[in-house]
Amino acid sequence: MAELSLKNVIKRFGSYEIIRNASLDVADGEFVVFVGPSGCGKSTLLRMIAGLEHITDGEIHIGNKLVNDIEPADRGIAMVFQSYALYPHMTVEENLAFGLRMTGNPKADTDRRVQRVADILQIKELMQRRPKQLSGGQRQRVAIGRAIVREPQVFLFDEPLSNLDAELRVQMRVEISRLHKELGTTMIYVTHDQTEAMTLADKIVVLRGGNIEQIGAPLDLYDNPANQFVAGFVGSPKMNFMSTEIVAADSASVTIALLNQGKVHLTLPIKNPPPAIGERVTLGVRPEHFVKAGHGDADLTITVDVAEHLGNTSYIYANVAGGEQLIIEREESRTELKTDTLTVAIKSSHALLFDSAGNRLR
Amino acid sequence: MQLRNRAAYGFLAPYLLIFAAFWIWPIISSFLMSFQNTRVNPWVFSFGANWGRLFNDPAFYNALKNTMIILIIQVPVMITLATIMAVLLNSPLLKARGLFRFAFFAPVVVGEVAYAAVFRLMFNLDFGIINKLLNGIGIASISWFAEAPAAMALLIIAVTWRWAGYNAIIILAGLQSIPGDVYEAATLDRVSKIRQFIYITLPLLKPIILFCVILSIIGSMQLFTEPFLITNRGGPGGGTETLGLFLYRQGFTSLNFGYASAIAYTMAALAILISLLNLWVGRDEK
Repeated sequence: MAELSLKNVIKRFGSYEIIRNASLDVADGEFVVFVGPSGCGKSTLLRMIAGLEHITDGEIHIGNKLVNDIEPADRGIAMVFQSYALYPHMTVEENLAFGLRMTGNPKADTDRRVQRVADILQIKELMQRRPKQLSGGQRQRVAIGRAIVREPQVFLFDEPLSNLDAELRVQMRVEISRLHKELGTTMIYVTHDQTEAMTLADKIVVLRGGNIEQIGAPLDLYDNPANQFVAGFVGSPKMNFMSTEIVAADSASVTIALLNQGKVHLTLPIKNPPPAIGERVTLGVRPEHFVKAGHGDADLTITVDVAEHLGNTSYIYANVAGGEQLIIEREESRTELKTDTLTVAIKSSHALLFDSAGNRLR
Repeated sequence: MQLRNRAAYGFLAPYLLIFAAFWIWPIISSFLMSFQNTRVNPWVFSFGANWGRLFNDPAFYNALKNTMIILIIQVPVMITLATIMAVLLNSPLLKARGLFRFAFFAPVVVGEVAYAAVFRLMFNLDFGIINKLLNGIGIASISWFAEAPAAMALLIIAVTWRWAGYNAIIILAGLQSIPGDVYEAATLDRVSKIRQFIYITLPLLKPIILFCVILSIIGSMQLFTEPFLITNRGGPGGGTETLGLFLYRQGFTSLNFGYASAIAYTMAALAILISLLNLWVGRDEK
C-alpha cells in the first residue's frame, strides 16, 4: 500500500500537449477515479503512472519514491487493461502465475497467492480453462486476479468494465468496490462513465482536454462543481443549462432574465463581483431541483415534449421547441403527457450561475 | 433441383468442365497410368513395371535422399531466418518499413531464370563474387558446381534466399495480430523481452509457423527449378537430383509416363505424410 503524487506532470507528443501540468495527491488506500470524455488524456495519465508512457516533464512519486525513471515492473503497480490482455495460450491458472513464475518466485508462495486470488474472485472452477472459453465477466475477473496476485502497492484500472453489458457492469462495479474494501490498497480507476465514477470513488478527478478541471469527493463535485463542464459532466440526467442575460446587479445579487424560457426573471445572491448589465450568463439547475409552482423564486411554464415515467420517478423533457431542452424530474407525478403544459419553479438556493467562459459566478 | 440452383450450376458449368478435364481427369488418369507399362506400345497393365521398379531403383533413392537433405536442413534454417526477419520488420525502431517489406518479398517476384543466372554468376569458381569474398577472409575457392556437397549447399542457400522473405511476410502478419497490450501486461509482470518472445510470441505464432513449415515441405518435395537451372540438371552426376527433377527426367526425357506417375504419387504421399506428422507434433494439447 502506498500514497501517490503527481507534480506538474506534462506529456507532449511533438508539439501537441496531451497532459497539461497535472498535479494530484492520492492518499494511501484511497480509491481515485479519473473521469472525462474520450480523448481527455485520462488513459494516458494512467499509463504514465504505470510507466508504459514516458512523461515529458514533472514528477511522479509512488510511496514517497520518485519513479520517473523506474521500470514499470519496479513501480509496485499492477494494471487491469480495458481489453483484459490475458495471455490467450495459457490457462487461467497459468495466466495468474505467469509473472511470478517468470521472476523466480518460490513455487509454494506462487501457489498460495494464486489460490488466494481464486478464493477472493470465486474463479476456482475456471482455473484450467483458456481465456477464449470464458465469458466477458469471467475474463475480467481473471484480469483483476492477475493484478491482485502481484500484491501491488497501487492498482491501476483502465476502463475495465467498458466491454461488459450493462447488467454485468453494475455487478462488477459492486465487486470492485468490495475488493477495494477487502484489500485496502490504493486504486486508480479510469472511466468515461460518470455513474461508475460517482459510485466507486473516494475522490474523482475530472479531466478535459489534458487539464484537470476539478478534484474532489463525488458529492462535492455534484453539489459544488468548479465550472460548467464539471457541472454538466457529473450527474445523470445532466444539469439543465439556460441562456440568461443580466438585467440588474448589486454587490450581493444579480437579477437575470431567462432568454429562451419566456424571459422570466430570477434574482440570485452571488459571491464574485457581478458581471455588467446586459452580459450573457448561463443558469444551471439540476433536474431534481425544480419544485412545485409557487414554492420557488421564479415560476416557469413549460410544454412537455416527452414524459418518461420510470415508476419511482418521472423525467419530463420539455420546451424543445424553444431551442433549449429542459429535463425535469418529478417524483410525485405519473400523469403528464406529451403537449401538456406545466408550471414548475426554480429555487435560487439550488441554482448555479456560470459566465460565458464557463466559470462559476455563484 | 430447384430452379435457382440450376441457374447457378449453369453459370458454374464452364469452370467445372475445365476443372474436371484438367484437374480431376489427370489425377485419375495418372493414377491408372502408374500401374501401366508405358515403355511398350500399346501400354499394358503391369503392377511391377513402375511400383516394383521404384522401390529398387537406386536413382530414386538418390533423389529421395537429396530431397530429404534439403528438406531437413533448408526448412528449419529458412523458417528460423524468416521468424527473425519478421520480428525485425515488426520492430517500432525500424525506419523505411515499407521498403524493407518490399525488399524481403522481392525475390519471389524475380523471374526464376534470371535469379538462377545471377546465382550461377555469383558462385562461379573463377570470377564469382562469393569465392572472391571467401578468398578475402582466407578461405580457398570452392568449386560450387563440381562437388556434390557444395552444390547441395548452394541449392539450400538459393532456395532460402528466394523464400525466406515470403515466409517472413506471412509470419509478420501473425505477429501483428498479437495485441500490444499482452506485451504491456508482460512488461508489468517483469517478463524480459527475450522471455516475452519465447513464452508469448512463439506460442501465439505456432499456428502460423506450422502453416509456413507445411507450405515449405510441399515446396521442397516439388523442388525443380533450382537444381534444373542452377546446378545444371541435378549435377554434378546426380548429386543434386531431387524427386521433382527425377520425375521430369523419367516423364519428359525418357517419356516413361507410367514411372513418372508412380514417382508423382510417391512425392504427394510423402508430402502429406510429413505434413500430417508436423500437424501432430505441433498440435494443441487441449
